[in-house]
Amino acid sequence: MSDTAFHSAPVDFLAEPPQIQELRARVREFVDKDVRPRVADNDRAPAEEFDWELVRLGHEAGLLRLVVPKEYGGLGLGVLGVAVALEEIAAACAGTALIFGATLLGQAPVLLSSDPRLQARFLPLFSGDNPVLACNAITEDQAGCDLLIPQNAEHATDVVQARRDGDSYLLTGRKRFITNARLAEFGSVYANIEGHPGATGLTAFIVPLDSPGVTRGPVADKLGYRACLGSELLFDNVRVPAENVVGGEGNGMLINIQQMNMARATVAAISTGVARGAFDLAKDWCAERVQGGVPLHQHQFTARKLAEMTSKVEAARLMYLKAAQAADTEIPAPAYEPATAKLFADQVAIEVAQEAMSLMGARGYLRENAMEKFVRESFGARIYEGTPEVLALAITEALYAEDDF
Amino acid sequence: MPVFESSDKAVRIFSELFTILLKDETFTQRMRESGISLHLIQVKPDVELFVTPDGVNVGAPPAPAAIRIKMSSDTAHSLWLGKLLMPVALATGKVRIKGSVAKVLEFVPLLQPAFDQYPTIAAEDGLPV
Repeated sequence: MSDTAFHSAPVDFLAEPPQIQELRARVREFVDKDVRPRVADNDRAPAEEFDWELVRLGHEAGLLRLVVPKEYGGLGLGVLGVAVALEEIAAACAGTALIFGATLLGQAPVLLSSDPRLQARFLPLFSGDNPVLACNAITEDQAGCDLLIPQNAEHATDVVQARRDGDSYLLTGRKRFITNARLAEFGSVYANIEGHPGATGLTAFIVPLDSPGVTRGPVADKLGYRACLGSELLFDNVRVPAENVVGGEGNGMLINIQQMNMARATVAAISTGVARGAFDLAKDWCAERVQGGVPLHQHQFTARKLAEMTSKVEAARLMYLKAAQAADTEIPAPAYEPATAKLFADQVAIEVAQEAMSLMGARGYLRENAMEKFVRESFGARIYEGTPEVLALAITEALYAEDDF
Repeated sequence: MPVFESSDKAVRIFSELFTILLKDETFTQRMRESGISLHLIQVKPDVELFVTPDGVNVGAPPAPAAIRIKMSSDTAHSLWLGKLLMPVALATGKVRIKGSVAKVLEFVPLLQPAFDQYPTIAAEDGLPV
């Protein structure tokens, strides 16, 4: 190995590395062959139905171990790999993309733990013969942003409690709207250490979900993202060994902020995919549909709309690629790039999907076409991993942050 | 009041720490296999080391290292003593790392011998442990 191998190469976020280009092509093939034929059925199925076969096929394509280091059987493709894969899947079905994205979220605290024992126990699960899902359990009935914003922590109410008991903790309480909770092997669960007001003692635990006392609650009946299941998780004196704590007692919010900063680039990618999926349908329609003797795209107003839509999709993609590359090359994961990418891409998804539906006219409004699903799903990403209001706070905090080094 | 009274003392102690690490064949072999080099930058007082599998050099590397770690010398002291947990140090920005996160994730567990050795080294030099 030459000396130059010990030096870092400058990052060019405009050029996807060869392994990422290969991944994009491989995932696109998976989407065309396995996801698209199932999109309508999975969208219209009862809320509690889940397509394990699709997850198995995704597992074969490596989608559950994209970010897992190679030494644990993963692909080691980082946040960039996850983001690119999720854009491709979301261009057909955002709900399917989130099954894999939520698993990354569940894996993230284990990755961030710097604890080889915890990593050796949980990361190889994703490289076995059978697909394994993970989940991230933070949201509660009375606490959403209060568990994400440090200044809010003291105001949080009814947070899942953790009581120290010898070499372990006992967790009690209820989490809500947890993607993959119904099916995950383990969860990254955030609970407040007993005696600390609000969520000021928030702590991250890795909890096997077959532990006695864990109950998987009813599945939420959602407007979109129906391919993935969001449900409650109930904990009744669930014993968790102390070695399953990530980052020590009371540092859960710090771990969660790191996790979010990693994940926001990937959610921006999902929104980019939703926008692209809607745009592609509109583009095809505007070539096929003839009015006034010419295809719609030759009408100036329509051409302007198409040009603006594709520009927005391109810009959203560049922003998530930059954010993902930043998350792959900086620790702590940067707050600014992922938050700006997500804020922008989430808005682009809504604007492009609405415009695309408008261009398709009545056909865009019919359930038999995929457009209405893109419109429904375009609103989803504004809710999870940071609302526009939360993102605005994160962005402005980064704008005015002072470098203390 | 900083833990280290002078830059010279901090440079000597952290050079010694990484020199001990490099005596571990497993550590250097993994560094070579993964193409890992380390540029350690500490402030208050200043320390700058460039660590490759072949040795510890004082000062900046000739070209950007694979991993660049920046922190204060007080933070480094707390970290190696085990009083400051690595995930917390990273999450709070007390330790900042640039480079491939995949390489960092691979590298951090290899540092365990340094955590084991540092309290002895620090105590021998009269630092608070």
